[in-house]
This record gives sequence, C-alpha cells and structure tokens, in this order.
Amino acid sequence: MILRLLSAALAAGFLAAVVATGLQLVLTSPLIVAAERYETQASAPSAPGLIQPAHVHLAHDHGHAAPGEAREWQPAPGLQRAAFTGLATLVGAVGYALLLGAVMLAVGREPTPESALGFAVAGFLAVALAPAVGLPPELPGSEAAPLAARQAWWVMTAVSTALGLYLILVRRVAITILGGLVLIVGPHLAGAPEAAETKTALPAGLAAQFAARSLGVSFVTWAVIGLAFGWCWQMFGRERANA
Amino acid sequence: MATSVQTLGQTTARAGDRLSAVAIAALLGLGLVFVAGFAPATVLHNAAHDFRHTQNYPCH
Repeated sequence: MILRLLSAALAAGFLAAVVATGLQLVLTSPLIVAAERYETQASAPSAPGLIQPAHVHLAHDHGHAAPGEAREWQPAPGLQRAAFTGLATLVGAVGYALLLGAVMLAVGREPTPESALGFAVAGFLAVALAPAVGLPPELPGSEAAPLAARQAWWVMTAVSTALGLYLILVRRVAITILGGLVLIVGPHLAGAPEAAETKTALPAGLAAQFAARSLGVSFVTWAVIGLAFGWCWQMFGRERANA
Repeated sequence: MATSVQTLGQTTARAGDRLSAVAIAALLGLGLVFVAGFAPATVLHNAAHDFRHTQNYPCH
C-alpha cells in the first residue's frame, strides 16, 4: 500500500507541477519581476536605473539575514530562476499529493478521480483560500508583519480549517458541524498579523492582479493533484491486481 | 473458525499496513512542504522564492 501511495503521489505531484509551473511562469512570475523593480527603486532611489538584474531581492532586509552580510546565492535571472521555480513547485506539489493521499487513507476513502478531487478542493480551501483571507498573496516589497508571526498564523489557519472541514464534511453530526464552523472561523476572529498598510510604490492594480492569479494557480494545482492522484491510485491498483 | 481467524489476521495486517502508509506519507509530505514553503535557509528561500509568493506562503 505504501508503494502504491508513494507512486501515485509522485506521479500526481509531477503532473501538477508541470501544469502549475507553466501557469506560474506565464501568470505570476512576470508580476513578481515587475514588483521587484519597484522594490529596488524604493530601497536604492539613487542607484542609476539602467539595467537591473531581475532578482535584486536581497537589497532589502530578509529578517533572518544580518545587514551587511555577504550576498547569498540566488538563481540567475531567466532560465535558472524559472528552473528553480519549477523545482520548488515539484517539491511542494509532491508534498501536497502525499498529504492528500495520507488524509484519504486515514479517513478511509478509496481515492478515485472524483473523491480525490473533492479532498483536493478541501486542501485548496485549507492551505490557500483560508490563509489568503487574512494574509492576501503578496508581491515582493509589500510585506508588513514579522515573518514568524505570519507563518504561525498561516499554519494555525490551515490546520484549523482542515480540521473544521473534516468535522463538517466527514463526521457530519450537529455537534461536529458546530465545532467545525468554530474551527474555521476562529483564526479569522483572532485576526491575522497586521495587513500591509506601509506606503509602497507598488501599483495597487499589480498587487490585486497578483492576488487573484495566485489563488487561481493554487486552485488549478490542487485540482490537478486531486484528479491525477485518484486516477493514478486506481491505475496502480489495477496493475498490481493483474500482476 | 479457521477462516474467520485468518480473515481477522488479514484485516489487522491490512490496518497496520494502512497505518504505516499514512504515517510515512504524512511525514514525507509535511517535510517536502516545509522545505518548499517554510525552510528559513536563505538559499532555499531564494531558490523557491517565486513559488512561495505564488502559492501564498508567507515570504520574507
């Protein structure tokens, strides 16, 4: 069973990563590169703006890098940067596919394309939409609250929303539905770390477009993970039965 | 009797099999998501930068 789960997750994650990387490179990466141009202008207004490297991100403080620290490695603009974006997407998508499979087995649902798509939509709600309600997808140069606080709220919201959805959709008893609603709403009542109110040269339209596209890319990623995982699970099961 | 004992044994084995599959996949999945989305090492952050922004992980 573990082999079937690992192979299905690997295949589904790979397929989702191919689709998601394509979408990211077309839809969101250009906006990130555009935003970095504003970020550089803000942090180094006197620099002659002739030719800027695409990824001049380390000009600002990353929180964990001491000021004056030697420049750390970063992918070169262009192909290398796109390749690392693809690699990160692959790692993340396989991770999500594994979690999807683990949850479906733990809950005792046989993964088919339909059932896995349902769980994948729940995954999208838990790790993409719910955290985005409090912490909208941000372009470089518009971040506000300290990283650790935002990460903690993100993880808390994702876990709480996932548990809430489980209680509502899988358990489906009055008391668990009530508990699930509390779990889903709770993190938002507690409140996300302060949203960005700092002045930035970043055009609002660019940020809004990025937030919408980001959620769209997340949704497609999850949908492909779900459909592909269910399909692969069935296929690898048939292969084993025939062998 | 013998059949039912055998069935019970198989069921237990299958449940244990499922439990270990769930545990391994969950740990592996969490590890991969952590590396791609949260790992604080600057090199990992820079490599995964555009992915983290797009998938709405809190980033720098």
